[in-house]
Amino acid sequence: MSSNRELAMSSYVGIGAGLMVIVGIEVILTYQHLPTRTLLFSLLSLASLEGFVAVMYLMHVKYERPILFWTIFPATLFVLALLCYIWPDAFRMASMRLLK
Amino acid sequence: MNQSEPAIAAVHGGVLMEASPYGFDKKKLGMWVFIVSDACTFAAFLFAYGYMRVGTPIWGTPFGFSSIVNGIVMTAVLLSSSLTILAAVRASQTGAKASASKWLGLTMLLGTVFAALHLREWFKLIGEGWRLFYNPTGGAPQFGATFFSVTGLHLTHVVTGVIALAFITRGYNQGRYDESHVETAGLYWHFVDLVWMFVFPLMYLMNAR
Repeated sequence: MSSNRELAMSSYVGIGAGLMVIVGIEVILTYQHLPTRTLLFSLLSLASLEGFVAVMYLMHVKYERPILFWTIFPATLFVLALLCYIWPDAFRMASMRLLK
Repeated sequence: MNQSEPAIAAVHGGVLMEASPYGFDKKKLGMWVFIVSDACTFAAFLFAYGYMRVGTPIWGTPFGFSSIVNGIVMTAVLLSSSLTILAAVRASQTGAKASASKWLGLTMLLGTVFAALHLREWFKLIGEGWRLFYNPTGGAPQFGATFFSVTGLHLTHVVTGVIALAFITRGYNQGRYDESHVETAGLYWHFVDLVWMFVFPLMYLMNAR
């Protein structure tokens, strides 16, 4: 069971509003016509921030025992880090010239 | 984080056993295991999409401003449904059955609205000629494959969630399920919301005109 230190409902509404503000920032960034690589990493960073807030507060990990956090996060982040091995090849392909 | 909860022994089938180190029941632990594995599935889909998106020079940007606005509305609807499911969990934990059912019903309604908006976007793209392996603008054909597979997987999760919530609500009202079932279903619903926080910027915003 979660502890009794959970936030009031109004605080959760505030968190929801904060997440929508981040979505707004993402939309504004989209229309700045940034290079694909810059936009991708900006959006991924903001989405990761949103995801962290959602997991900690909406999914209550902050109010559970620390063992849950330490069971989930290192293993998941390790898998995601391993998946990053594809990026150098994606950048290599992007810099290749088109043959007419 | 709460570090002060003692490990209380529990009786299972007449045998005194050590309590779970997580401090909650196996349903919730099972849901967390599912969420971690499902997160890796979505991550694999999104990384594959990112690989093709970055590595393909002529990709195609099918989303006009109206589609982006539609996506923002979808995000707001799904975030609101996360708040309504939180309210349902809170109400069920205080024993307010009628209130919990009301919030669960509202969550299902918002989930259905989200699915309808999602399908509207799909039909719009299909109407413009986009297919799984065909790009009507002449760019990379992989856009359709990645977009329809990632958003289709997410849409399947939303629809499954609405159906699961309907079963949970019915069982909860009949007394077959308790607040722990509502809480576990809520965890799943938050995960669906969490995935959308990555799908919207990567699939919609990265492909905006």
